[in-house]
Amino acid sequence: MKWYQRALVPARGFLCFSFALLCFTGAAFAHHSFAAEYDASKPITIKGKVTKFDWVNPHSWVRIDVTDADGKVTNWSAETAPPNILYRQGWRPTSLKEGDEVIIEGFRAKDSSATMTARTVTTADGKKLLAGSADNGPQGKQ
Amino acid sequence: MKLMDGGTPVPQPVSRPAFTHGLKAVPLIATLLLTSLAFAQPPGRGRGAPAGPFTRLPDGKPNMQGYWESRNFATAFDVEDHPKEEFGIPAGKGVVVDPADGKIPYQQWANEKRQDILEHHLFDDPQAHCWLSGVPRQMYTPFGFQILQPEGSVVLLYEAFHSFRIIPLDNKPHPSSEIRMFEGDSRGHWEGNTLVVDVANQNGKTWLDMAGNFHSDALHVVERFTPIDANTIRYEATLDDSKVYARPWTMRFDIGRNPNPKYEQMEFACVEGEQDLQHYTESEGAKKK
Amino acid sequence: MKLACFLSGVLIVSGLALAQVPAAKYNPPRMANGKPNLQGIWEARSAAWGDVEAHSASEGIRAGESIIVDPADGKIPYLPAALAQRDENFKNRAKLDPLKKCWMPGVPRITYMPYPFQIFQTTDFMVILYEYVHASRTVHMSGDHLDGIDIWMGDSRGKWDGDTFVVEVTNNDPHTWLDASGNHHSRDMKVVERYTRTAPNVLMYEATITDPKTYSKPWTMRVPLYLHDEKNAQLYEYECNVYREEALSK
Repeated sequence: MKWYQRALVPARGFLCFSFALLCFTGAAFAHHSFAAEYDASKPITIKGKVTKFDWVNPHSWVRIDVTDADGKVTNWSAETAPPNILYRQGWRPTSLKEGDEVIIEGFRAKDSSATMTARTVTTADGKKLLAGSADNGPQGKQ
Repeated sequence: MKLMDGGTPVPQPVSRPAFTHGLKAVPLIATLLLTSLAFAQPPGRGRGAPAGPFTRLPDGKPNMQGYWESRNFATAFDVEDHPKEEFGIPAGKGVVVDPADGKIPYQQWANEKRQDILEHHLFDDPQAHCWLSGVPRQMYTPFGFQILQPEGSVVLLYEAFHSFRIIPLDNKPHPSSEIRMFEGDSRGHWEGNTLVVDVANQNGKTWLDMAGNFHSDALHVVERFTPIDANTIRYEATLDDSKVYARPWTMRFDIGRNPNPKYEQMEFACVEGEQDLQHYTESEGAKKK
Repeated sequence: MKLACFLSGVLIVSGLALAQVPAAKYNPPRMANGKPNLQGIWEARSAAWGDVEAHSASEGIRAGESIIVDPADGKIPYLPAALAQRDENFKNRAKLDPLKKCWMPGVPRITYMPYPFQIFQTTDFMVILYEYVHASRTVHMSGDHLDGIDIWMGDSRGKWDGDTFVVEVTNNDPHTWLDASGNHHSRDMKVVERYTRTAPNVLMYEATITDPKTYSKPWTMRVPLYLHDEKNAQLYEYECNVYREEALSK
């Protein structure tokens, strides 16, 4: 296990208070199963324009229009950590606006819809926001 | 970049500059990681000053008021030891202290049912449906809880699902057994420095964790909250369910105080915005779409 | 002469003193810090959960007078577009009422839902726990309102004004209604609640509602809350979404 995996996989108990900064990555899916919905063996990175940022509990959702090589547009839904976790990290409902160009890294849903869980959201200015949705999944294999 | 399943269009590949931006974020991530490690050190374990003794209320009882969270994060996934990752349950240490082998003493049929739930029915996790977590699972749901000790009661306010438990200290009997609730009914009393809570009237519709550990409506729980120092409460729960377990068994873990003096709990709604269940597949027990 | 002056002086002073002494006020039980003890299990008996304005009975809804004390006509002072929206909501209330989806009712609707709630009080917190969908409100006695997010039960900050506990509720999610008849608000709504114990078994509830996007001026409702003093009074659970899900899966 790499050093960053050891820190983020909550196998050592007390390292992961969910109100500590990084540990929400596990806490996000400690109220229902990550693996029942997402495939940790299917990392994905998508790039597109924000159409909506649903600031809701239990998980917020970033909707983005992704244009493929043929010009076809698919609206993807990327799930984030619960908004309370985002709020404590400094996110606000206005952090992502319609039209913002973003890159979202995470893992695909198992049901082959255009759905994923977001680990990070990178905005056009290069700022990487931790979106905290990978619990025990591998760390960003590309 | 992997191709999508079933020949669906490949999303726009990420160009080099984006990865460079990502690398620039590494120092930020490292800083955040180190900061969280600093926050998370338990008292008396080397780094940071050990916690002082716990304080007392005017009536002499231990003062456990404040914001807390289970120190054993893995419990939310599996109350038993989980030696390797499977079905999305990470490897982790369990909290079962009796029996000594750390395994829930299921009746034979219940052992098989538990495995079936884990392999085929995670869709049925009541928490995924925004149902209340029950006792003891509520004690290790994420996002912590607040303890209040108004006169005559102990009140637990959990951030997860805005749940709460009211624990009167008045020795009144539990409601009639026909009245069943997700959180059950709690009655408490102090034995020395330990708050002993008797939990009855649960409705059997909750689980113990995300690994399919379960119980019936015959479940009876006795909890013991013992403050160890100003920042630690030792939590123990003995579970008795003659329909599911061969004998009563006990879990134990420590609960740690939130070190942030400005912390506030926030509302965590669920029903209003739940959008995950629609993505569960039949292999987890979701209905055919 | 001196006696007459003295006597008239006494009479005048007594008269002034009598004029200033208010009618005997209820002196509530008090906490150790001298503040009124509002703790207990309370419930409204009002028909306002159906409609806060005066209304006839209809299916599932019983009749009642308005609980609005200002304006004097007992009607919510809607802006014209908001009134049209309310009427549209009312027409489609069987489908549109957020409670049909088992969403949290928000403030002030939760206060006069026909379910009990329990108030707990410490020096730093007033906590209100509702049987209906286990809605929960923590009234902070310090700190600032949260920044720019919608909260189903609002963000509550409170302080004492004499023997009245005053709570300012902001960050109200715009999806909640004020009752089952489509009365609504925007996310700019601010509710100022006033809780006063006026008798051993009565907690008077007053709420002034301000929302310049929806109403032409602030308006105020008032409804008494009654103590549950039966022997084994306690909160149970009403888990709306569970029953709905179980019914839908049959």
